[in-house]
Amino acid sequence: MPNQNQITEKESLEIITSMIQKAKGTYYETGIGPILWGSVVSFASFVTFLQMKYEFTIGFDVWLLVLFAIIPQIMISMREKKTGRIKKYEDDALDTVWLVFGISLFCLIVYRNAVPYVTTRLIAAEGWQMMKHYTDGSKPDEALIPFVPSFYSIYIMLYAFPTLVTGLVKKFKPMIYGAILSYGLFVMSCFTSSWNDMLLGTITAILCWLIPGILLRKKYLVQKTAKANV
Amino acid sequence: MFKELDPILHSQLRLAVMSLLIGVKEAEFTFIREKTNATAGNLSVQVQKLKEAGYIEVVKQFKDNYPLTTCKITPKGIEAFDAYVKALQQYLQAGQG
Repeated sequence: MPNQNQITEKESLEIITSMIQKAKGTYYETGIGPILWGSVVSFASFVTFLQMKYEFTIGFDVWLLVLFAIIPQIMISMREKKTGRIKKYEDDALDTVWLVFGISLFCLIVYRNAVPYVTTRLIAAEGWQMMKHYTDGSKPDEALIPFVPSFYSIYIMLYAFPTLVTGLVKKFKPMIYGAILSYGLFVMSCFTSSWNDMLLGTITAILCWLIPGILLRKKYLVQKTAKANV
Repeated sequence: MFKELDPILHSQLRLAVMSLLIGVKEAEFTFIREKTNATAGNLSVQVQKLKEAGYIEVVKQFKDNYPLTTCKITPKGIEAFDAYVKALQQYLQAGQG
């Protein structure tokens, strides 16, 4: 922008419009985070689905992968912060939404692991226990650890929430559509068996994170290439 | 009665800087330079003028041993930009009429 001389009113308007568009169209999200989480969660959900449906075990809890994914996520966030050359007004709010999502997810995991055993202990202290009773009498009654039926449905609903907020705030349609479809999958999962919920969870992770992440990455790389060619 | 256009803003590069900063919370100097296609020297001078007018805040710090300059629009800057756009609209409407 070499000319510092007087500008006309029309030129002023053109400068304002073009600069606002330039700031708006800057994609500084690399897309690696959503790709990472989309891959890990869809993989873990799918392996769990296979284990439940075909009644086998891989010998370790596949969801530990999700826990391990936190380490590369921290590294990605730190690197993106270093390269992020602008900060938009909505960034802090969205970071908070994802932080709250992470905390809620952690609380759900605690709930899922603690409540059945605590409930068993509490009702045992009252002198009774839950039993599984076969109505056709084909098998003898057996003691049952309390559980929340179709629990993964709650996760599917939770996955959609921060995705929809991010999509709406950033006006990023793949995330909006992914989240809306995931809410549909949540409703569907209320009517299906637990192992089917895992399959729906796999699709949710792909729709909410993996596909939007790949599209974000593509946009980011196009912009990076364009910048390199200037 | 036409309002006079703010002379601080009625300059190509300064207006470009303000238009960029109005849409973001803060931006690094290198980002502004890249988007405005200005030279570092020229941009520094114009950024300094905007800072002196109280329209932007400039924070200089070090990141990984490299100097890092970040610019942020101030409430006074937002007000001035808003007034400038309104005045501009008046001129343009008068031109059409």
